[in-house]
Amino acid sequence: EFRFGPCRVEGVVLSELWEAFSAMKSTVQTQDDITSVRLLKSQVLHNVSDAESCYLVHSLLKFYLNTVFKNYPSKVAKFKISKSFSTLANNFFVIVSKLHPSKDKDMLSISESAHRRFLLFCKAFKQMDTEAALVKAFGEVDILLTWMQNFYHL
Amino acid sequence: RAVPCVSGGLPKPTNISFLSVNMKNVLHWKPPQGLRGVEVTYMVQYFIYGQKKWLSASECTNISRTYCDLSAETSDYEHQYYAKVKAIQETKCSEWVETGRFYPFLETQVGPPEVALTSGEKSISIALTAPEKWKRHPTDDSVPMQQIYSNLRYNVSVYDTKSRRRWSQYITNSTLVLSWLEPSTLYCVHVESFVPGPPRLTLPSQKQCIRTLEDQMSALK
Repeated sequence: EFRFGPCRVEGVVLSELWEAFSAMKSTVQTQDDITSVRLLKSQVLHNVSDAESCYLVHSLLKFYLNTVFKNYPSKVAKFKISKSFSTLANNFFVIVSKLHPSKDKDMLSISESAHRRFLLFCKAFKQMDTEAALVKAFGEVDILLTWMQNFYHL
Repeated sequence: RAVPCVSGGLPKPTNISFLSVNMKNVLHWKPPQGLRGVEVTYMVQYFIYGQKKWLSASECTNISRTYCDLSAETSDYEHQYYAKVKAIQETKCSEWVETGRFYPFLETQVGPPEVALTSGEKSISIALTAPEKWKRHPTDDSVPMQQIYSNLRYNVSVYDTKSRRRWSQYITNSTLVLSWLEPSTLYCVHVESFVPGPPRLTLPSQKQCIRTLEDQMSALK
């Protein structure tokens, strides 16, 4: 079960996500030759409070679904990673659909703090050529999963 | 100072990869093919993903061995790294050959704990000491790998040599008492560290065997 602060997500087996990404890791990361840029910098993911975590993971996974994975299928066939790709994408979809970040006014400052982190990620993404940014974001799923693992309870 | 050399004048080293155990991160490679008997030296550089330039591994410039300990250079295990090596022979050198992206936090093999066994009549006590993270200096404080991986657990495997029965169980703390065993029986134990997350190579502990004590009742007869 994931516990992102108040948000609970059951029914997702994190080891399956790990296995899916591990199967694609070298293929995907080899495509990223702009090694001087890291999108998920430590300022985005370090010291995220429990309260912030639900907002941040919701934004990041929605971005991955709507921007990264959506524009990646052309590569999926080419690199023969469709099974692993769909495992990852389907699980991200399940997680997002079960996350309901609070809209209470008293959570405003926390949601804004999470949003600032997300904007750091988006800014770095938009500063790159779109094609290169897609490849890089996909190659950094291990960084994202490592952070998400902190909120996973067996 | 690195002597300029003609790049591509030598074949490249091969099979470059990190071998990492408890955050001791050692780069390994194989000599270039076809240069048997030729004296070749190597130069190693490393790169921190997201930063700007390659850095020289000071301990691994003009070396003749085919490995380089980059533990100190890659000690921030939340970063990701690349490393590369090239072969040099007088004024000729190979092109660089590079690793994939190396993520110590996800890729280091977590070594087995130390295992101490004591036996009772129908029980065996297993005491485990967590594996330790690589230390820059032997005098540095020891850091148990549990401090890095709070979700680290141990897979204890037990083999009853009499019934030839084998079973295993996961534990998180450092002691386990196996009860309801048979007296005067030899049991063998080995333990692996396990970290939930991406698949990792595991290093089981040495198999250790211990005999349970004689049944006191039959001893009195």
